[in-house]
Amino acid sequence: MTHLELENLASEYLEGQLDAVRRAQAEEHLRDCGPCRGLISDLRHAMELCQSAEELEPAPWLIAKIMRATVGERKPTFREQVAAFFRPATQPRLAYAVAMAIFSFSIIVNAAGLNLRKLTLADLNPRTWFYEANRTGHLLYARVEKFYYDLRVVYEIESRFRQVRSEPGNQEQEAPKPEAPAGGSTDRQAPGINQLAALQGLATTAASPTGVATETVAKGRSLSP
Amino acid sequence: MEHDPELVRRCLAGENSAWEALLHVHTRRIYNLCYRFTGRPAEAEDLTQEVFIKIFQTLKTFDAAQGAFPTWLARVARNHLVDHYRRTKKDRVTSSLEDELGGLEEKASPTVEPTAKVESRERKELLQQALDRLSPDLREAVVLRDLQDLDYDEIAQVLGVPGGTVKSRINRGRLELARVIKRMEGMRGPAPQSGTGGRT
Repeated sequence: MTHLELENLASEYLEGQLDAVRRAQAEEHLRDCGPCRGLISDLRHAMELCQSAEELEPAPWLIAKIMRATVGERKPTFREQVAAFFRPATQPRLAYAVAMAIFSFSIIVNAAGLNLRKLTLADLNPRTWFYEANRTGHLLYARVEKFYYDLRVVYEIESRFRQVRSEPGNQEQEAPKPEAPAGGSTDRQAPGINQLAALQGLATTAASPTGVATETVAKGRSLSP
Repeated sequence: MEHDPELVRRCLAGENSAWEALLHVHTRRIYNLCYRFTGRPAEAEDLTQEVFIKIFQTLKTFDAAQGAFPTWLARVARNHLVDHYRRTKKDRVTSSLEDELGGLEEKASPTVEPTAKVESRERKELLQQALDRLSPDLREAVVLRDLQDLDYDEIAQVLGVPGGTVKSRINRGRLELARVIKRMEGMRGPAPQSGTGGRT
């Protein structure tokens, strides 16, 4: 093999594409020819340099730039448009506003005493709402007032019990109480009878209507010693 | 990931998302091809964009039976690069002189960099400068074979020449590249990393 032949086959020799005969001839030539060995060595170095070259990264905006140059600004898809339309609905602010609106509406409906299942034309009149709201307000006030007086009655009964127990005569009577069945006398309890009767009156009036409760409290006071 | 013919079919049906997917798959390769031809990142970006505009306009002419999409893409890119080379031949003579002067200035003021990074950068510069010195015919053959990893048949399709011509151009291109690299390394001093051993 001549120098020129080896030079023409150098790439194929390095890539292992020569048949066995040509390869043997090339190797035989290379054993005896220093310049050709240098040539092959330089060629191998150049190929290695190419193969070790890293791929370069294009600028990150290049694809967007090409997209704009070819198809223009990207149009949002139908799905993206729908999502954009409903995006505000997913915000907490809207949920809070809706909750407040429902709450306010339910208060108005309750106060007006409206039955949403059986609405009539009269129910839609604001005068009816005002009347019903006024009535409901008064009823509520009356209930609160009754509850307050009931609490006062209970407090009066409790305080009266405490007062009866704290009196010295009652304490003495209460102490020998286990012996009472044996002794048999009921006269000893006489001093406390008046107070107990008053308390019984208070207890019965506690369950009575509000107006009566206040009168009973007054009576209880007059009965007390 | 979808295959190229399917993406092309969807592109032709007007689906922008398919075109975007094609760009994501092939932009990097075409950019590297353009960079190896021009040696300038900004110019390579412009050329890549021009290539893809051309691809977008001529996508309906792609025939999967004639060859793979990457081969067709490389052929369009190569034709565009050749046109660009002919168009800018005069400008390049002056700009290459400026680049060389700029390169000398850069070498005169080396910055402090880790050794491996400096070596890697020097190897890249060496290769690119050596490629720039090859004739376009030889350069494209070497780039397609050794940097783009195309086989001989694909290169023959891209260049539109017979397989024998491809082999010849690749061999001559490599020999020329090896000579240029050796000369440049001789001017710079010892190679940063030879990896060959026993060179004469």
